[in-house]
Amino acid sequence: MKLSLTGIEKSFGGWKCAAGAAFSPGVHLITGRVGSGKSTLALLAARVIRPDKGIVQYEGIHSHTLSFQYPENHVTTSSLEEEAFSYGVEPDHALDLAGINAGKTLDPFRLSRGELKAFHITCLSLRPWDLLILDEPFSALDCRGKMAASGNISERKKEITLVCTHEQHFLPRTDFLWEMRSGLLTYLGPVPEAIPSWQSATGPVRRLRAQGILPVNLTWQDILEAACRMHD
Amino acid sequence: MQDARLRLISVICLSIAAFTSVFGAILTLIWLFLSPGSLLPHLRSAALWIIILITGIIASISQYTGGEGISYFIRMSALILLAFTVYAGWRPGEYLDLSVWLFGKKAGFDIGLAVEMSIQGFHDASREFRRIFTAHTLKGIRPGIRIIPSVGFLLIHSRLMRAHDQADLLLSRGYVQGGSCCPEFRTTKKDIITGFCAVLILILSFFPVRDIFILRI
Repeated sequence: MKLSLTGIEKSFGGWKCAAGAAFSPGVHLITGRVGSGKSTLALLAARVIRPDKGIVQYEGIHSHTLSFQYPENHVTTSSLEEEAFSYGVEPDHALDLAGINAGKTLDPFRLSRGELKAFHITCLSLRPWDLLILDEPFSALDCRGKMAASGNISERKKEITLVCTHEQHFLPRTDFLWEMRSGLLTYLGPVPEAIPSWQSATGPVRRLRAQGILPVNLTWQDILEAACRMHD
Repeated sequence: MQDARLRLISVICLSIAAFTSVFGAILTLIWLFLSPGSLLPHLRSAALWIIILITGIIASISQYTGGEGISYFIRMSALILLAFTVYAGWRPGEYLDLSVWLFGKKAGFDIGLAVEMSIQGFHDASREFRRIFTAHTLKGIRPGIRIIPSVGFLLIHSRLMRAHDQADLLLSRGYVQGGSCCPEFRTTKKDIITGFCAVLILILSFFPVRDIFILRI
């Protein structure tokens, strides 16, 4: 199973997003500054938009989806029950996992954006996707929601998962680290080896790095464990 | 055309001309082709051809039942093309300037602000539509008549939410009524010539063709 981006270029006015990469099974974390091209890359990888140049190739990928930053963009029905069915999942289970205590007939827009996001991410996590592309999956979620979403993503070891985010604290267990540098996708390497060259590293990781300590991975627990080593 | 005032006058003149007679509609089309830069991108627009197709169907029925279908089709097509071109020519803040110039800083500012927000809303809705359409595709829901109600509902809902946010924003910035705005317009020679042509087309559209070309024997 492989996702290949060969010589990809996409221009908007004077700005260009470029990528040449191959994504194997595992969790790929793609970070970068706001406006660096993470969302464009997600749209290109999901084949939602076509590149001006280059090819997006799926090898052995039979099911794929993309999660937008704003969960309301995914709503296609007028009740939570129908909404769960539209993802192909069982409503009671999805609502329970998302921690939403509301009737199944409730209009999805009656939920807060955070609740809707949690429901959307839960519905996606209940389906076996060969390729799952998540654009800012942690936005609008509270700490508990972010930890739950990170946990779900971390479990996807056999499939390809692309996580485009600038989340600072609750990241999933990451296999490969990538960075968008002014529109150019740059491969940094496997985690933890890639952490020293991570320019857009999160605040906690930067602080640990300054003390000469590298976390084993990027989850909240890994950061805490590394912080404990700092005080040894 | 850069001067919004001349553009407004031209649009009023050409709309009346195109609606009044087939001759006026043909002259309007010629006027549009005088600045192909703003017209040609719309000829690739699917929305334009869908609307023209619907107009064509109505015109065919009208012609078949003894009405003036062909005349209706030519006149409406010219009006639709004119509308697409004018809509695309909008630049942010332009109609606010125009409205303040026309009606002053109280009512003019309010009308201009409402128009600007509406046009901005159209642009946002267009982007929103593409996003919602993609979400349907990602869920494996095939595009078709069935998804029109849900897409329509989502668009209306998101527009209402946005309007609510904008109202809050205006209120928090202390907006009550009217505002300070100093409109500025840039008039080029081309604007004056094309504006004059539009007025001429309006006058000509009220004359029978044979009177203009002295075809009377």
